[in-house]
Amino acid sequence: MNKLLSPDKSTVLFLGNEAIARGALEAGLAVATGYPGTPSSEVIESLAGVAARRNLYVEWSVNEKVALEVAAAASFSGLRAMAVMKQNGVNVASDFLLHLIASGTRGGLVLVSCEDPGALSSVNEGESRYFARMLEMPLLEPADFQEAKDLTKWAFELSEEIRNVVMLRSVTRMSHASGNVVCAKLPTKSRRAKFEYDGPVMDSQTGPMISTPVVAKHRLHQEKLKTVEALFEKSPFNRYSGPAKPKLLVVTSSVCFLYVREALSMLGLERDVGILKLATTWPLPPRLLERNLQRAEKILVVEEVLPFLEENVKVLASAMAGRIGVKTFFGKYDGTLPAAGELNPDIVARAIGGIMKVKPKTPPASYLAEVKKAAALIPAREQTFCAGCPHRASFWNIRRAIALDGREGFVCGDIGCYSMAALSPATGYNTMPTLHSMGSGTGLAGGFAKLSAFGLDKPVMAVCGDSTFYHAVIPALINAQHNRADITFIVLDNAGTAMTGFQPHPGLPVSALKETVPAVDIACVCRGIGAKVAVADPFDIDGTSKILTDYLAEKGSVKVLILRQACALSPEKKGKKTFNVRVNEELCLGDACGCNRLCTRVFRCPALTWDSARKKAVVDEVICAGCGVCVSICPQNAIVKAQGNM
Amino acid sequence: MKKRKPAKTLNLILTGVGGQGNVMASRVLAGMLVDAGYVVTIGETFGMSQRGGSVMSHLRVSPDEVKSPQIPAWGADVIVALEPLEALRVLGVYGNPDVCVLSNTRPVYPIGVITGELGYPSREIIMEKFSLLAASAWMIDATDAGVRLGNPVLSNIVMIGALAETGLLPFNRGMFAKEIKKTLPPDKLSLNMKAFDEGRAMIRQESVALKNL
Amino acid sequence: MKQPGAQARLKKYVLRQSLCTGCGACVGMCPYQVIYKDRTVQLFDCDLPEGRCYTFCPRTPTDYNALEKTLFDPRDLTDELGPVRGFFLARAADAGLRLRAQHGGTVTALLGLAMAEGLIDTALVSGRNDEGEPQGTLVADKGELAGYAKSRFIVSPTVAAFNRIDAKDREKTGIVATPCQAQALAKIRTAVIDGCSQAQSVGLVIGLFCGWTLAAEKFRGLLERFFIPFADLDAMDIPPGFNMLELRSSEKTLLMPLDEVDEYVRGACRYCVDSTAQFADVSVGAARCGMDPGEMRGWNQVIVRSLRGEKLIELARQKGALEIREAPAGALRELKEAAAEKKRQGLENIVAKSGSKKNLLYLKNYGPAAGKRENR
Ligand SMILES: Cc1cc2nc3c(=O)[nH]c(=O)nc-3n(C[C@H](O)[C@H](O)[C@H](O)COP(=O)(O)OP(=O)(O)OC[C@H]3O[C@@H](n4cnc5c(N)ncnc54)[C@H](O)[C@@H]3O)c2cc1C
Ligand code: SF4
Ligand code: SF4
Ligand code: SF4
Ligand code: SF4
Repeated sequence: MNKLLSPDKSTVLFLGNEAIARGALEAGLAVATGYPGTPSSEVIESLAGVAARRNLYVEWSVNEKVALEVAAAASFSGLRAMAVMKQNGVNVASDFLLHLIASGTRGGLVLVSCEDPGALSSVNEGESRYFARMLEMPLLEPADFQEAKDLTKWAFELSEEIRNVVMLRSVTRMSHASGNVVCAKLPTKSRRAKFEYDGPVMDSQTGPMISTPVVAKHRLHQEKLKTVEALFEKSPFNRYSGPAKPKLLVVTSSVCFLYVREALSMLGLERDVGILKLATTWPLPPRLLERNLQRAEKILVVEEVLPFLEENVKVLASAMAGRIGVKTFFGKYDGTLPAAGELNPDIVARAIGGIMKVKPKTPPASYLAEVKKAAALIPAREQTFCAGCPHRASFWNIRRAIALDGREGFVCGDIGCYSMAALSPATGYNTMPTLHSMGSGTGLAGGFAKLSAFGLDKPVMAVCGDSTFYHAVIPALINAQHNRADITFIVLDNAGTAMTGFQPHPGLPVSALKETVPAVDIACVCRGIGAKVAVADPFDIDGTSKILTDYLAEKGSVKVLILRQACALSPEKKGKKTFNVRVNEELCLGDACGCNRLCTRVFRCPALTWDSARKKAVVDEVICAGCGVCVSICPQNAIVKAQGNM
Repeated sequence: MKKRKPAKTLNLILTGVGGQGNVMASRVLAGMLVDAGYVVTIGETFGMSQRGGSVMSHLRVSPDEVKSPQIPAWGADVIVALEPLEALRVLGVYGNPDVCVLSNTRPVYPIGVITGELGYPSREIIMEKFSLLAASAWMIDATDAGVRLGNPVLSNIVMIGALAETGLLPFNRGMFAKEIKKTLPPDKLSLNMKAFDEGRAMIRQESVALKNL
Repeated sequence: MKQPGAQARLKKYVLRQSLCTGCGACVGMCPYQVIYKDRTVQLFDCDLPEGRCYTFCPRTPTDYNALEKTLFDPRDLTDELGPVRGFFLARAADAGLRLRAQHGGTVTALLGLAMAEGLIDTALVSGRNDEGEPQGTLVADKGELAGYAKSRFIVSPTVAAFNRIDAKDREKTGIVATPCQAQALAKIRTAVIDGCSQAQSVGLVIGLFCGWTLAAEKFRGLLERFFIPFADLDAMDIPPGFNMLELRSSEKTLLMPLDEVDEYVRGACRYCVDSTAQFADVSVGAARCGMDPGEMRGWNQVIVRSLRGEKLIELARQKGALEIREAPAGALRELKEAAAEKKRQGLENIVAKSGSKKNLLYLKNYGPAAGKRENR
């Protein structure tokens, strides 16, 4: 049995994202959409796994904006729907979101944003909570796994109560952590979709779904927010725990609540410090806050990443200062807590300990001294492309082409596993100096290419993954072609959204529901734009290098090279080796002139290691993926391959 | 060997290198413990950090309460490492004089070591540091056992078997068999049980215990 | 801080200084360097402190006098032409070969002879790759040699191909080399690098006289302007008596005044002080004086430099492979004057680049230093 469908009252270990998915199922979800992005992907993935049994429609959408639009259509037709994305996905969806909030919704519509404080799997530490305030949308933040489920379920009810979209915010340490969850009933009835639009313009339930008349609808929405506030005042998800009159009141939300609780037990301060855990963080319920802020003179706000809660609490506290008195606030503004990066129990304990003048316990000094000695021996373990990764081969080719061309060309990077190419010890071979958001590599490249008149005369390249291509690259590519920007655009097509775990995308003939669908061919799209297109296998070092060097030398506008090779971790490759590869020690030159360890020192496949005693390269068969690329780079033909098990 | 039963929270860190089956191992352990009535919290990092980087799962086994998904510094009771260097790395942040370590012997060299810029401590030095920094420590050739059984990926199950035998966590063979039935296809079960038993047998050999107080 | 390695020094002192002649001596031994479209390209960084690339390069500092004295009889050394054991005019006895050759076909005839007599098994000459660019090509069948005759006035990275030959076969390889290439080969023959390379033997070095080469990419552009596809170029020469570069394709012949050609000359050649391949066994060039220009075109001037070269010429006389005649009076003097002029120009340019008369860049302990020679 799929554990997402566990029976009523059973206790199940759920990933935070699975708890969100279960909550949606308990709420009677009909449509779920999303764009993959760590740490959000498992919500849609797990729902897709039960779609047939629960009669759901689940899709991986081309990007977050479209995901929200598809979900909104379901809501407009009276169904409950959910759109799921990572933090920066909300930025992508935000233009539609602004107008959606103005038009209102019908069936419960929940926007789930899984955010990544500390950027564990992101290239930004973005916060989407400010969208809640800016776009005037209720915001919920679960603090544990049970709440992740229960709050999600409630979010749908709330959305239907106010007939507008509700945002649920999770973070990596919630989405990707697991814990016990007690399940409730799954509904047995499902709704029928019905879209009405003949009613009066101001009636969002029967009239047209539009944002006009703007000011009138805006006013209406603000009235609804008052209802939200009132509901939040009574919400059981907001809780105070601790002594009636604590020496310090900690106001917190999300997984930070667990850190605070842990910190208090580390410091032995459970009887001195109180915790106000808020699950409804925008709009804040003023009376609830007034009651609790009164308890203490000192108030610490603990949250990730920006001081969103701190600001909003302070605004309320200043308005009620006459009644509750003037408080001393601690948090991000005064530096009690770091203004960037994720938190953990230790950081929180130091902050609380600092205010309360208590030190967390540590092991004896002699132990710490030994730890220090041991730490000096531990080499860093940097991220790198996997053994057999097509990106390593692709960047090897790119680096060669840039060197051969001789004009110091460079690559504008994009978001995917290949983003690692921007890091120095990873294996982009120092070719990729820019990295921003989805699709922006191509936009930047098009810009750089127009600067030759100002003296920047270097060949410009952009890379993107297959999934990124559909998400946001196409407009930038059209822009480059239209404005005759001379760029070499490389699609690193590894047949799936590898970084987030192989979700299908429009280039593949399969949908999230495993149905057969027509694949949208990248080459055809590029040709349609009018670009020159070639397709190659990055493992074919000579062939790929040749195309690239020719492209760089060729004047023109957009030249596209699609490098096609499946990810080493893809289901069809995992555990199988195309080749059995080993090093012939007699031929290996090692660190002598004539090679100087090209494979281990420069190429850097994690499976090709250096035996420093024998001064020879060795293939670690356990790690080797059997791609055979190293065979073609060894100058001595010392790396040999035999047919593998594929 | 004393048997630990968590009256209060037991903190276990499962560590290794991306791709070693860390996540699967922590889910199997947690699944057994949830069924046994504990409140379990796992904190893990995956995504980008999986790509050749260090990976860690924090497993918190509590009789009653959800815990922070991140264990506080110096707070590990048990460290299970699929890669020895990672055990040492975790000891440096979460170690304490009472911690127990169970580590695989097989190194996975970091890229900096492969390129020659960094050095990798010898097995002797790693063993010495385990003895200095842990109350008990075992090192077993789990990868080799996995390879012998036909797939190096089984090393994580070998480690789980070994962990069962150390008695550091409240689970046994029967619970393991029941747990993997939930997730693994039937044809994989007997091989996984073999790997589990292999791990148990390895712990019974005196030589693998570096220190057992 | 770590000292820059061999490859980094090559980059700093040769490539970045525009001293690279494109000879190919640093290429073909390892994966770090290649020649691509007439440029020496460092694909990836190598950090070895010492290595063959730096050591073999003819433009890294070399003890010039020591090199000459190790390889030649010191009694044969002259200031202008390096070692001279014999000087005469020659042409291939085979009239058919002469028709296909640049001048007298002496080079090709000598290679053929050395192969026929078993002195060498293979000849390394200049061929073309798929793009029509010159590259070193090994010929094992002497019947094929004539197909590689004639001069291309752009650099052929022939030494790279030499570097790729199995060490044991090098002794039995004869190679046609421009002056910079002959110098690189001299370094290859004498260099010993700890733990990596032994001095290597080379079967035979036939040197070509050389005034300059053209920068290939610029020259390609020039040809395109005259609608001559690079690959169709059949012959190029500076016919005696004209100050013109003659370019011939199957379709047309083009004459260009030499001072117009000047802008297409490879920059590195301006710092070269050798016009007669002083480090070869035998050097061969065009005959320039003492006959009517038409006839002159079919003859070569030949300088014999080493014992090995002398033996080969002796054999050529015996077997009748070459027609040999004494050089006209004044030819040697004229050749010396021309050689001295190139040295003077080269040194002047070197000093201008280094900024000091004491710093002659790659020429260390260089005998005919500017001052000394002018006094004579
Ligand atoms: C770049 C260059 C510049 C020259 N400059 C002068 C000069 O200023 N004064 C002068 O008297 N003579 C010069 N020569 C030499 C001259 O052109 C003839 O090569 C020489 O006279 C021998 O004639 P041959 O008939 O015996 O040659 P052939 O029998 O035709 O044989 C010529 C040989 O040279 C090889 N060769 C052709 N092009 C190159 C190249 N670019 N690099 C290396 N090997 C090559 C061929 O493979 C062939 O083996 C120059 C030659 C070259 C290649
Ligand atoms: S590239 Fe080849 S010769 Fe060089 S160290 Fe690796 S295996 Fe040995
Ligand atoms: S075949 Fe070579 S490059 Fe490919 S994974 Fe194995 S060692 Fe690495
Ligand atoms: S020739 Fe030797 S020193 Fe030079 S780049 Fe190659 S391996 Fe390095
Ligand atoms: S002159 Fe020759 S050896 Fe020196 S860098 Fe240029 S090609 Fe290499």
